[in-house]
Amino acid sequence: MTAVTTVIPIATQGSGPTTAAPRPIVRNDVGLDPVVAQGPALLAGIAQGPGLQAHRHRVGPVPRPSADKLVKLAREVDLRGRGGAGFPAAIKLASAHRRKAVVVVNASEGEPASRKDAALMALAPHVVLDGAAVVAHALGTREVHIVVPSEVPSIRVGVEKALHARAADGERLKWELHDAAPRFVAGEASAVLELLAGRENLPVTTWAPQAISGHRRRPTLLSNAETFAHLGHLARVGSDGYAAFGTAAEPGTTLLTLRGDGWDPVVREVAYGTPLADILTASEMGQPLLLGGYHGTWLKPAQMKALNVSRADIAETGATLGAGVVLPLSQGWCPLVRTTALVDYLAGQSARRCGPCRNGLPAMAGALRDLVHRGGPVAPVGELCGLVAGRGACAHPDGTARLVTSMLTRFPEEVDLHSLGECRGGRDEVFA
Amino acid sequence: MSHTLAVDWPACKAHGICAEILPEVVSLDQWGFPIVHEPVTRDLLDLARSTVKACPTLALRLTQRPKRH
Repeated sequence: MTAVTTVIPIATQGSGPTTAAPRPIVRNDVGLDPVVAQGPALLAGIAQGPGLQAHRHRVGPVPRPSADKLVKLAREVDLRGRGGAGFPAAIKLASAHRRKAVVVVNASEGEPASRKDAALMALAPHVVLDGAAVVAHALGTREVHIVVPSEVPSIRVGVEKALHARAADGERLKWELHDAAPRFVAGEASAVLELLAGRENLPVTTWAPQAISGHRRRPTLLSNAETFAHLGHLARVGSDGYAAFGTAAEPGTTLLTLRGDGWDPVVREVAYGTPLADILTASEMGQPLLLGGYHGTWLKPAQMKALNVSRADIAETGATLGAGVVLPLSQGWCPLVRTTALVDYLAGQSARRCGPCRNGLPAMAGALRDLVHRGGPVAPVGELCGLVAGRGACAHPDGTARLVTSMLTRFPEEVDLHSLGECRGGRDEVFA
Repeated sequence: MSHTLAVDWPACKAHGICAEILPEVVSLDQWGFPIVHEPVTRDLLDLARSTVKACPTLALRLTQRPKRH
């Protein structure tokens, strides 16, 4: 077992040779396969393929730390959930460590601009499954559910293959696969538990955290697939080994999907503390950036200049990394036009169960279209953002309001221009 | 410990009875769905309990902390 110490650089914008073989996985919205680069920790073995034998040869057997030990490790490296909310993994583990616990691996990835879970499941399934096995052993359960995206059948096939190999290798866990509905809100935790219960895969109101009362009211450790991959890696290398990458305050790595819904999609594993400038091209650094996905926050180039991939640094700009979705605005695009298109999509993705979301999101999309394309007033847009936030079973209205609010606060000059019926498009000087 | 009125949003069908009984705490948005303005003060607790019982779809709960986890 050898430690990989450097990130293998990848070519961006289609220029120059790549050192890691580009490994296409699943097509994105515009029919392009994201390129997945070899990474320092979770994606270290993708060049050897997704097979179990190569994986075991590289990392050895599944480690079996106790629950207390695993909680301690997660606390030492301040491991956060990678589904978007960034909840501390140690707290979740400790809460779920009770009788009859259930483990749920959420790889449904309903966000169209995110491809990192698909990349993990397709290219390094055993990294995730090892993590799930570590957690199951620690919590004293054999029941593990895996939620895969139904719109990408190849992922289910790959995971089934991986599970067969593990069973043949003597692993005694009860794995169960579930197909998530192909929609934005299907991956939300309560929606996933509805799916497991055999009901429609949509969010419902929850009165207690899943770790306390989840699947069949049992303590349920439901986390994003990447979180399990990190837990498995952490259990294997320990907190010192885990801290081989990243900063003292934020050890470890994180997966990013760059331009996930665009023309040049890339999935990369980067160490915390990596400068944004090392990830994006020079021209992308001069453009506004939508960080954290469709529920994310706009950043202006001035805020991006010295920014690192770090939860603390990003929080200072008022944004969050979310599930690691990084969407630079294409040259020549107007951020308001882009936001309007996204809000149209998000309004259509409402489960239409909660009144404020069912009514408020289409109204917000309409008010935004009015402002951006017809020189309408700004005030209704902001009012609707305030009206929908916090009023739903899931955070879909909150996330949509966050996106729109960041557009209003980051591009006030553009907003004024649009309300006069003008648009400067994406000319560079606008955003400096 | 302060109480607050929590809404089961998928269950709420905008009957608006909560805003009738407890206008001090609840108002309605333009579509008739409740906006819970503030925590339920001690003197309003009994009225809040009646509001919870009066909801035709049982979409309200009196909780002791903010709803979201």
